[in-house]
Amino acid sequence: MNIIEPLVKIALILLINLTTVAYLVYTERRVSAFIQNRVGPNRVGPMGLLQPVADIVKLFFKEDIVPTAANKFVHSLAPLISLIVALSTFAVIPFGNTIHLFGRDIKLMIADVNVGLLYLLALSSLGVYGITLSGWSSNNKYSLLGGLRSSAQMISYELSMGLSIIGVLMIAGSLQLDKIVVHQGNYLGGFLPAWNIFLQPLGFITFVVAYFAETNRLPFDLPEAEPELVGGYHTEYSGMKFGLFFLAEYANMITASAVITTLYLGGWQFPFIENFGFSPLAVSLLQVAAFGVKVALVLLFFIIVRWTIPRFRYDQLMNLGWKVMLPLAVLNIIITGFFILV
Amino acid sequence: MPTVKITIDGTQIEADNKRTIIEVAREHGIKIPHFCWHPKLSVSGNCRMCLVEIEKMPKLAIACSTQVADGMVVHTKNERVVHARNAVMEFLLINHPLDCPICDEAGECKLQDYTYKYSTGYSRFDEDKVHKPKRIQLGPHVMFDAERCILCSRCVRFCDEIAGVHQLQFIQRGDHTELTTFPGEKLDNPYSMNVVDICPVGALTNADFRFKARVWEMSFTDTICQGCARGCNIEVGVRNNETLRLTPRRNDDVNGYWMCDHGRLDTFKFVNAENRIKAPMIRKDGVLVEVGWDEAIARVASELKSFKKSEVAALGSPFATNEDNHIFQRFVKEVLGTKNVDFVRHIVEGDEDNILLRSDKTPNSIGAAEVGVAPVEGGMSFDAIIEGIHEGKIKALYALEDDVAAVPGVAEVLPKLEFFAVHAANENSTTRYADVVLAAATFAEKNGTMVNFQRRVQRLRPAVTTLELDRAMDGFEMSRWDKFAAHNDKWGKGPRRDARASWKIVASIAAAMGTKFKYNSADEVFNEIAQRVESFKGLSYLKVGKKGAPLKAKAMAPVHA
Amino acid sequence: MNSERSTIIRKKDLSLWERMYIPEIVKGMKLTIRQMFAPTFTTQYPDERFQPPASFRGRPVLVEENGVERCVACGLCSRVCPALAIEVQAGETELGKERYPEKFEINMIRCIFCGFCEEVCPEEAIIMSQEYELAFTKPQDALFGKDKLVVPIEKVQTRLNFLRANR
Repeated sequence: MNIIEPLVKIALILLINLTTVAYLVYTERRVSAFIQNRVGPNRVGPMGLLQPVADIVKLFFKEDIVPTAANKFVHSLAPLISLIVALSTFAVIPFGNTIHLFGRDIKLMIADVNVGLLYLLALSSLGVYGITLSGWSSNNKYSLLGGLRSSAQMISYELSMGLSIIGVLMIAGSLQLDKIVVHQGNYLGGFLPAWNIFLQPLGFITFVVAYFAETNRLPFDLPEAEPELVGGYHTEYSGMKFGLFFLAEYANMITASAVITTLYLGGWQFPFIENFGFSPLAVSLLQVAAFGVKVALVLLFFIIVRWTIPRFRYDQLMNLGWKVMLPLAVLNIIITGFFILV
Repeated sequence: MPTVKITIDGTQIEADNKRTIIEVAREHGIKIPHFCWHPKLSVSGNCRMCLVEIEKMPKLAIACSTQVADGMVVHTKNERVVHARNAVMEFLLINHPLDCPICDEAGECKLQDYTYKYSTGYSRFDEDKVHKPKRIQLGPHVMFDAERCILCSRCVRFCDEIAGVHQLQFIQRGDHTELTTFPGEKLDNPYSMNVVDICPVGALTNADFRFKARVWEMSFTDTICQGCARGCNIEVGVRNNETLRLTPRRNDDVNGYWMCDHGRLDTFKFVNAENRIKAPMIRKDGVLVEVGWDEAIARVASELKSFKKSEVAALGSPFATNEDNHIFQRFVKEVLGTKNVDFVRHIVEGDEDNILLRSDKTPNSIGAAEVGVAPVEGGMSFDAIIEGIHEGKIKALYALEDDVAAVPGVAEVLPKLEFFAVHAANENSTTRYADVVLAAATFAEKNGTMVNFQRRVQRLRPAVTTLELDRAMDGFEMSRWDKFAAHNDKWGKGPRRDARASWKIVASIAAAMGTKFKYNSADEVFNEIAQRVESFKGLSYLKVGKKGAPLKAKAMAPVHA
Repeated sequence: MNSERSTIIRKKDLSLWERMYIPEIVKGMKLTIRQMFAPTFTTQYPDERFQPPASFRGRPVLVEENGVERCVACGLCSRVCPALAIEVQAGETELGKERYPEKFEINMIRCIFCGFCEEVCPEEAIIMSQEYELAFTKPQDALFGKDKLVVPIEKVQTRLNFLRANR
């Protein structure tokens, strides 16, 4: 097997991913500014487009402070875990159909694992280690509380997340993400794309909510709830280590959007593209573009939700997780099973 | 003494029938506002502020000149009285200028306070006010502003009745009436500045204190005047750690409400003076050089040790407290072992009167003698010590804070001393001859007691901080700025000197010479005095309090430790 | 605890529709998205400068009239200042006002721009100007003496007019 091909793909994905992270931060700041009738960063470069560069340079030059009583090894390790996990989830995401290029067929995903979905679930729950470890190793009460909240939250929502996906599994009959996407290329009644969002609206809602909780985005950012916990798990982080957490959060967001797109929004499927008679290469590229557009829209949704919905209280979070989400996810399985049987 | 029963504001009161309503009410805590009435002055009844309603009398009567009578029912707060007071205040304010921002009296002004309490709060007067001269120098120490005067005549009566000189009088009629001095006269009697205190408005103001500070910016500490053996009770006004003003404090056993101009003006300025000794000094190559306390104390201790006991003499001080003198005489007798100990008396024969001034110009000569600053049998008195220095018999002299060299004949002999150590607060003629000058805290910087000519023990309280003291920690009176100033604020932080109370310095020297006097504070020293000195028996700082306590009658044979 | 002065309004329980969250979230997001297209309030500071209205309380200044500050050093501003920012030392002058500030110092680090000094001033001598650009690199620079505080009356006429009109 050719080793060059996956390496090129990995490099490409990392590059695109990290650039997107940088500009996602910028976008978030601009969008939140517009929502609040402000302008947002507009001084560095045209329209402030060089702001992410300035931010990263600043983070690199900031003093790296490690608390004296901290466990220094784990303290340094934690942000790396967070970021690596966030990025490696992307390995199983198919971002396009097989493309015919340079005389060969190239699958537009890094690793075509036949248990892609399990891999995805496994990695996304690993991310919590970064947070919990950082909270523990900082030797700070706020950090520790942040870390504990994060693990509690992960356990509560991982369940409903896993259960929601079962609906998708039942329909696609495969754990392979590629197959799940292909399965969504059909049409319902000839006009509606057979995306899982239409087949599984309830599953979609529970999955999205659970994934919000997994990524620690508002309204579920209790691990770093500023009013109560100062900075939560990253209270004691500064400089580029803090920067890594920051990167991880946004990389997680991108991964989350990609997963949601893949599982529910038809992945790289471009509805009705086969009717226009484009060349196969153009079709492939357009499909990649479609994937990008879908991911971008989900990201925008993430951002707008953050600036719309206030943070949950801890008891509300737990109530929602156990008393609402879990029953709904189970209900979704039952309904799906019922329809499949019928 | 025939007593009568009267009712004031519903309270039944029994009183002597020779007294007036205002006096009786005051004794029972009922406040009747007044401008012209003063407890120590004759009744003039011209301000009309003390109008009260007396049942069965057709018109309101003034409380200051109406004697109480049996069955009298007085109302001081009812509607009629309030209405009358409003009217009186309105009349008083017609020609009173609105220059409180400029006026030094603001903040302690009777008219200002009563305007808040008893006036309607607005003026109906549209016409021009009568203008009179301002900024008149009535006497050397008193400024006069004729516009502010409300013609209560307190100052006129003070001069006539208390100071006993006729210097002030009113001229003209009606709203053109003006206070002035008699032709060719000036308000220059030795008690002239008391008119500033009794003036209910800012018409008469202290020329020395003029515009120095607003009263609310200062802290006020109850202490004792250092001007003479009377020991008038006073308040020291301090701002930014700088003494700015002395005012008399009422003590009917000592000074009544008054104090003399000398005491008021000349007994506090040395505390802030430029020539303060800011730290202990040692003479090196003929020049006094500031050194640390340890070095100065070690020097004194080693020098004093190097002389024979009979070659050493010691001088206490009538300007120092009982505590200072007590530790000093113990040190001299127990550690130095010399018999030659005495102090200098500063008596100006004939410079006294039957009001306040005393011929003894020191505040504590009786106290110094009482605690035992006197030659031990066979020892030398002051004159003998000077003679001894002259003859070379005395080679070392150790003196508390007193300008010994200013005594005639002393300055000439001092250079003959081989070693001379002196406690001093300011540079003076004595420090010129000293080998070691120990920076002494002034009366305004230490706790202590003094005994006045009536044999009355009275308390000194610190008002100014030295380097070793802290305003908040050491129980000083605090102004608002003292309370809230942060460490990096400039205000509230006047100069502080590295001075110490004399008893502390003496105790340190004793320790350096091998004898430990264990006292933490001045009141512990005083308790020891109370144990060891017969006439102080049973006294403590608590018993001395704010107004002092008499010493026991002269004991048959005072016991000295 | 139901006192006479307060009435307790019991919030009605949410309806089932409201309790489903989703419709309410959509409502909220509609609002935020609408706001994205509303005009912004931001002033591009160093380029555009805020011109404060007359009611604005900038740094306190001493009014100078006919070449002399109006202040008579009464010390009321110093007394009323809740932050104890003002220090005044009076002196005597030959002018009709008798009294003038020998020293007038405001510690601009302490100043909280409450305007009490202006309100209490009997001479309309200390007023809040429209200056708001106050940044210091050293604490000593923030001690404003008479040299910085005294300002000719023409420069603060708008504020004086405002104070007159709203007395």
